[in-house]
This record gives sequence, C-alpha cells and structure tokens, in this order.
Amino acid sequence: MNAWKAIRLVAARDFWERVASRAFQLSTGLTVLLVVGFILVPTFIDTDSAEDWSIGVVGEVPSGLAGTVDAAAGDAARVDAISYPSRVDAEAGLESGEVDIIVDAGGKIVVDNSTDQQLTTLVATVLASLDISQQAADLGVDASALTELFAGGFEVESISGEADNRDGDRAFAFFATIVLFMSIITYGSWILIGVIEEKTNRVVEVVLGTVRPHQLLTGKVLGIGILGVAQVLLIGVVAIIVLSLQDALEIPEAAGKVLLWAFVWYVLGFAFYAVAYAAAGSLVSRQEEAQNAAFPLTLMLMAAYFVASFSIAGENPVLRIASLLPMFAPMTMPLRIAGGDALVWEIALSLALMVVTTYGLVRLAGRVYAGGLLQSGSRLKWREAFRASES
Amino acid sequence: MLEIDRLSKRYGDVVALDGCSFRVARGQLLGFLGPNGSGKTTTMRSVFSLVRPDSGEVRWNNERISASTRLGFGYMPEQRGLYPRMKVASQLAYFGQLHGMAKDQAVAATTEWLERLGLRDRADSRLEELSHGNQQRIQLAAALLHNPELLVLDEPFSGLDPIGVQDMIEILVERAEAGAAVVFSSHQLDLVEDLCEDVVIIASGKVVLAGPVRALRSRSHHRYLEIEVAAPVSGLDREFADLEVVTITDGRITLRLDDDTPLEPLIRRASALGKVQEFSFTPPNLSEVFREVVGQ
Repeated sequence: MNAWKAIRLVAARDFWERVASRAFQLSTGLTVLLVVGFILVPTFIDTDSAEDWSIGVVGEVPSGLAGTVDAAAGDAARVDAISYPSRVDAEAGLESGEVDIIVDAGGKIVVDNSTDQQLTTLVATVLASLDISQQAADLGVDASALTELFAGGFEVESISGEADNRDGDRAFAFFATIVLFMSIITYGSWILIGVIEEKTNRVVEVVLGTVRPHQLLTGKVLGIGILGVAQVLLIGVVAIIVLSLQDALEIPEAAGKVLLWAFVWYVLGFAFYAVAYAAAGSLVSRQEEAQNAAFPLTLMLMAAYFVASFSIAGENPVLRIASLLPMFAPMTMPLRIAGGDALVWEIALSLALMVVTTYGLVRLAGRVYAGGLLQSGSRLKWREAFRASES
Repeated sequence: MLEIDRLSKRYGDVVALDGCSFRVARGQLLGFLGPNGSGKTTTMRSVFSLVRPDSGEVRWNNERISASTRLGFGYMPEQRGLYPRMKVASQLAYFGQLHGMAKDQAVAATTEWLERLGLRDRADSRLEELSHGNQQRIQLAAALLHNPELLVLDEPFSGLDPIGVQDMIEILVERAEAGAAVVFSSHQLDLVEDLCEDVVIIASGKVVLAGPVRALRSRSHHRYLEIEVAAPVSGLDREFADLEVVTITDGRITLRLDDDTPLEPLIRRASALGKVQEFSFTPPNLSEVFREVVGQ
C-alpha cells in the first residue's frame, strides 16, 4: 500500500466519522441558523428604526415648518408638530418627553439634554431658510429666482479611485484573519482531541502496525482540515445567499485578489497550526491535559491575532516583521498585501519560509508523534518524545 | 519464518531487551512466556516497527521486514484498542483496508467474520455498545481479517471468559493449521502447555529456555511421584517421612524427587503398605519449569 493510499484511508475515516456524528450535524445546523439569524434580525429591527420627532410650537411660526423638517430629515425620522398655548405648557411637554424641541414664535428654539443634535440643526436651518424665503417674498423676489441664486456653488469630488479602496481591502483581509483564527481554534482542538482519543483508547498501536506515524498525522490533519474548510464554506455560502437575497451584500472593490491571497494564507496557516496541534496532542495521554499541551500554540496564535488587530489601520514595524515569520505570517501578511504595503520579495520570502517550515514541521511532528503515541502515563516533553522516536 | 535475531533495547537505565533471539515457523503455534517486564511486549512491538531496537534485527523469510510485508501480518496488542464510537462493520472494513485489502474484499471478509463470530446482527452497532467479550472478538477479527501469514498476539486470553478462551484457542489452532506462523504471550501456563508444542521463555530481555514443551519439562531435575495405595494418611506419612512430601491424603501421596531417584525401592515400600493402584513418575509441569528458570 502506498503512502498516499494510507493517508487517504485515514483522512476518509476521520472525515466521514465526524460527518456521521450527531454532534457535528447539530453544531453545523446551529451555526448556520445563528449566522442567518445574525444577518436577518438587525434588518427586522432596522425597518422600524426611524426616529419619531415632535416639534412643540408656541405662537405663530412659519407654516410648513414640520413638513419641511420632515422632508429634510429624509428616511431618518418622521416629524410632526404639536401646538401649545403657552411657553410654560410647551416646556412641560419637553420635560415629559411629549415633544423633542420647542419653537417659540418669539424667536427662541428651546432644547434640553435629550434633544437630538441633528434635530436642533435641522430646525434652525429650516427656520432660517423659511425666514429668507419669507423676506425675499416680501421684497418681491420670486421663489424660483431664489433657488437659482442658491444653486451653483461647489460640488464634492473624491480623489481616491474606486479601485484603490485600501481600507475596505484591509477590513476584508482582517475579516479573513478572523475566520482563520476561529477555524484554527475550532478545528485545531478537534485535531488535538482526535489524536488524544486515539491514544487513550489505544487504537493507535494497531493503526501504527500498518501505517507510518507521519502518514497517520497527515491523514488526520487532511480529514479534519477538509471537513473544517467545508463547514466554513457552507456557512459562508449560506451567509452570501441570505445577504444577496436582501440586497445587503457589499463586496469590496478588488476583492478578487484579496480573496485569493486570503485563501492561500488560510490554507497555509491552517496546515501549519493543524500539524502543530496534532503533535501537541501526541504528547499527552489524557483529555484533561489537552489544553496544557496546546498552550504554547494558543499563545502564538493569540499573539498573531493581536498583531493583526492592532495593525488594521495600516503598516507598522511589528506587523512587517511578523508577516515574515511562519507562525504569524498567515494572519498578518494578508493585511499587508491588502494594504498594498507588502513588497514582492517579502511575500515571496514569507511564502517560502511558510512552506518549508510546514514541511519540516510535518517531519518533526511525525517523529514526536511516533515517540509520543506509544507512551502512556505522564505528559511527555517535546524533546523527550523526539528522542524516544529517534532511538 | 519469523526470526527475532539478537534484539537489544534500553530505555534509559532500564534494559528491556538483551540479545533476545528465537524463531517461529509457518504452521507453528508458539507460546511466548516470561514474567512481567521481561520484554515480551517490546519484542512484539519490534516486529511491527513500533519500537526500534538499539541492535539486532527482525526478519521474515530471511529478509528485513518492509512496510508492505508488515501489512500481511496481524497484531493484537496487549492493551486492546478500537474506535469506541465507530460501527462494528465499518470499523473492521477500515482495518482490512489499512492492511491493504481492496474495499469490497474488506467488506466481504467483514461479513464472513461477523457471521463466524455470531455477531452479524451487531454489524451496525457502535463498538462501545457491545459486551466486553464481544469487543474482544471484534479485536481479534480486526487482526485476522486480511488472513495474515504471521499472527502476533499479546496476552490474547486475558480477560476472556471460558467460552471466549475456547473460541480463541480454536481460531489460533485453525490459523496455524492453515499455515500461518502464530506467536502469542500468556501468563496462563496450563493453557499454553495444552495448546502449544513449543514455547520460548524470556527473563530480563533474554531467552532463558526454548523448545518443545515435553523436552523442557523432562530437562528439569525434578520429578513428581504420585502413588495411589490403600493406606491411611498416618501410614503414608510414616513410611515416606524421609522424602519431600508435596500432598498427602488417605490412600494417595505425591512426592517430589530428583530425576535420578531409583524407583524400584519406592514401589516395594508402597506395596508393603497395601495394594498399589497407581504409581506415576512425571516431570514437573510448565508452570514449575517456568518458575525454576526465571528464579521465582
């Protein structure tokens, strides 16, 4: 039996046994439901999120005040007016929350702490323009001439090209980093538990009588890894379908290139950490020790994540160095590529280091695995396991 | 033929194997004996490359064992292990495929073995739902599915009930008769004595005794003399007070003697007490030979 067939057998078992498990089906179903829920719930609330503003009116104010403010506020608010016989009554209304602002014909706009700043500005502006219109009319100026008078002026123009949307790309790359982080945490612990399970129920001795340790390791990482990627894809596809059904999907410009790089680094990063988690699992004999064994890895992962999250605004020296180191690169390099900060040689070097290190890790982990798997009892140190397999 | 050739292995200061050598031919059923910690498991693991010896070699048909040769072997480790939550049939088929069988072959062999073990109706049960004895049967089937030419079993009888022991014996004998080399370790020496023509005994990582059970027994310098004679305990006790008495009841006495003790005077002495109905002079059993050579 050749190596590839052995790896495929192991991978297929790890994949299908998990797919068939009730726990996996439930957790996948729940996650999909949660994601759909997260997308749908805010839009249900949003449809009714427009503000209701009331203007308290005392005395003779220009007609059409409420209507003009309402029009000016657009979709953000519905505006109506309530008339009060006196200023005192109006202020009582403002305090009780019946109205949000008072317009006193005597020439005052009365507000309190709860008055929306936007409303205040709107009311003041509308009053001023109504006043100008009134005075213009009194002077015999025609309304259309007035509109012409105010037209012209300046237009806003952006000098950033649309394809140069760096912030959007960075945000997208950071999103990919979060997905990678979550995937490694989730599926890394599946791998960790899977390895320890095989060790605690001793099946590993029978399995290793037929396949080499690095084949078992590679098969396990592939089986669980492919399952993990499939689950992430399923959730992603469902999210995209739901989002596009409600026309809420905004894909950043130039996402294609960023997406491709994000995928490449996702695969590399996942492979690197998955192999490391498998090796960590082979060092311990009991599930309770799993988190201890994986602690150095979790720490590295957190560090990489923090470097990435503090660098979302842009390039910095820590990010630059981190993006070259294999354990940090998968979570930091995509950000730099998206931001347009990574030099070609840096990307090439980082990729090369990543691939070489992962391959080295597979060989090394294979040995740790071989040394660790047949030991039961106390937790092995990395170095002891390495030596055990050597001799 | 399996050849274990001068295997040595140390773990730090502990010597696990110290030049251990023996052979198992095809068709042979070999009992591999030794006290706890004498190196039996380490030796068996070496066959499957689970342990790399410091020196020495394991050969099959005069060649170093390659990975593909090893797929034709069957192994039942001392600490049993299968996937508890995997279904019985798919689990067996998986192990068959790991041993290089094509999928349909493995599935067919699984059906055959489940049929034979009377577990066909449990094919879709998870392993953990089976009784302990049935899990052991599945473990054995996992080692046998691919019809191995060498079968290595570490303590196959431990934890089995009498029916399980009988089933196991039948299967091992049948495999050996079918031409497989079979080697197993056990602490149940009476059982080994009945089952095997040949045994190897190791102590402290070295083979201390090897050969046909009969020959090993008669090489001992001790013999047991069992006499059935119509005489009370008091008479027997008085008459044989000068010899080493092992057991004594009314009409029956067992003596432990050197192997060169002349028997004629003893027959005469017994006859003087009454009518002798049985007079048997036998070498010690395997259990005692074992204790003699490992010094316990």
